[in-house]
Amino acid sequence: MSTWDGLLTGLSFALQPGVLIYCVLGVMLGTFVGVLPGIGAMAAISLLLPITYYISAEAALIMLAGVYYGAQYGGAVASILLRLPGTPQSAVTALDGYPMARSGRAGVALFAAMASSFVGSMLGILVLVLLAGWLSRAATAFGAADYAAMMVLGLVAASTIGSERPAKGFAMIALGMLLGCIGTDVNSGTMRFTFGRTELLDGVNLVALAMGLFGVAEVIGNVRDPDRQGVAERIGLRQMAPRREDLRRMPLPMLRGASLGSFFGALPGTGSTLSSFLSYALERRVARQPERFGHGAIEGVSGPEAANNSAAITAFVPTLTLGIPGDPIMALMLGALVIHGVQPGPMMLEARPEMFWGLVASFGIGNLLLLVLNLPLIGIWVSMLRIPFRLLYPAILIFVCLGVYSVRGLTFDIVAVAGIGLAGYLLALARFSPALLLLGFVLGPLIETNLRRALLISRGDPMVFLERPISAGFVLAIAALLLLSAWQALRRRR
Amino acid sequence: MQRDWPDILGGFALAACGAAAAGWAWLHYDLGSIRQMGAGAFPVALGLLLTVLGLIVALPALRRSGTLPRAEPWAACAVLASVLTFGLGLRVLGLVAATALAVLIASLPAPQRGWGWRLALAACVTGLTVLVFRLGLQMSLPLWPRLG
Repeated sequence: MSTWDGLLTGLSFALQPGVLIYCVLGVMLGTFVGVLPGIGAMAAISLLLPITYYISAEAALIMLAGVYYGAQYGGAVASILLRLPGTPQSAVTALDGYPMARSGRAGVALFAAMASSFVGSMLGILVLVLLAGWLSRAATAFGAADYAAMMVLGLVAASTIGSERPAKGFAMIALGMLLGCIGTDVNSGTMRFTFGRTELLDGVNLVALAMGLFGVAEVIGNVRDPDRQGVAERIGLRQMAPRREDLRRMPLPMLRGASLGSFFGALPGTGSTLSSFLSYALERRVARQPERFGHGAIEGVSGPEAANNSAAITAFVPTLTLGIPGDPIMALMLGALVIHGVQPGPMMLEARPEMFWGLVASFGIGNLLLLVLNLPLIGIWVSMLRIPFRLLYPAILIFVCLGVYSVRGLTFDIVAVAGIGLAGYLLALARFSPALLLLGFVLGPLIETNLRRALLISRGDPMVFLERPISAGFVLAIAALLLLSAWQALRRRR
Repeated sequence: MQRDWPDILGGFALAACGAAAAGWAWLHYDLGSIRQMGAGAFPVALGLLLTVLGLIVALPALRRSGTLPRAEPWAACAVLASVLTFGLGLRVLGLVAATALAVLIASLPAPQRGWGWRLALAACVTGLTVLVFRLGLQMSLPLWPRLG
């Protein structure tokens, strides 16, 4: 199927009312949780997982993806107005967005964030379409050894790049992979770590794990936050109109940010937070007057916002073409697809064109909706910032409980959520990343299956990982990353 | 000197988990060979890896000062008690009572005094829950306590 046919198929699929509504729902909900500090995209996607049981796999993916990129738009609002990043990806936006708001230019900063997000997404979609076709053709040459090595590379990259304490990240991934071992072993039928509980035969429930780690644990961490002081300013369309000078300063940072983002988003393990930081650093370096940064430079809003949105879109490349999630959010998306019995892989573009092209089209529709709706609705989002968390979180908890219960109708799962929530809270307190745990949990069983298959094919010869050129490349990259982080750790100690 | 307790306790706890998992898998599941790995091989390897990583986190932290994170034991207890009340009470108390009770318990640690808003919130959330999950999504849940 040519790209053009694909796009037409996708558009006609995504514009059906029964599908479009989930796209709208997703981006609206995403913006909402992005605006609210205290609940991130991870929590929102976890909360929505049970609902996806009731709709088709395609619509589920479109809705969850909408939450993800919608949250990027919303996250910028809280970052700019309150210096409280609604999502980690928008933390950088606060550096210059908040000073702009303080000097009475909040509207312009919001406009810059939204316009840049839109441009970033559009470039991301372009890169996604080009890369996905190429990668899914290349991926037909992948064997079990290559898959295993690539997944390990993703895990190593996720816990080393941009992390101060890689050992803590690795520990979380190992713990997640161990949790992934619970349940019936597919190869031998052995029941591992089930301790006689029939509820554990299918393994730890992904929905319960995600809700515990990101719903309950995040609620606990935010319960005692005092009410946020009302945002004084009223922001309407008139306040958002940029000056001519602002317009002149925006396009280049947008393009640079979007290129950075679409490159790093597609790599496994790096993702959108890193690309927004890199984009900010780049803008600062190329600026004629770097001293303006930190005092309300519009480039410092434009670049990172374009970067994190394009990265959010190209992150789908490895997930959809190889079936390998590059970051924890993608791991949740993959989990949602697996719930529906869809295993993404190189064949998916051909076998289920609606899935891939429908998603691509929904990216375009969703981002256009975000731009068109958010500009006039900005006043409503700003007033959402005033909702006290104390009125929201009890409802969130009930939603978590009933959501988990609805999956299998077992109260065991609700009790499990409480336990997982406590563990997640303690881990977050000790600054261990629960997101990496989830990534390990989803990738662990895939790695085990491919590792066992690769060794079976090679008759027990571990050299297979170095003899196949693709896997050797991944192993080399893993070694390089490990050496680099070891070197950094040694240098820090001196 | 304030010890780096998060790393020390977290590291040792993870190491203990890893060692326990590896030991259990070693004793109970078939390890197999490299060519044909058994059900136990992967968990044993992961357990050992986690043990080593936990020690790598914990041991250097013993000789280092650190800051204590701000824990909220009161908030944690209330939230967990709320989830457990809902989970264990759902079949016995019915949806209405379990929801109202869970909301009240959850709202205890909120930084705002008074019972009025708590009761109002419980009523609102209960109403919404019944409306959405019972009437809207048609989930089969008992609404009222089971008598007798």
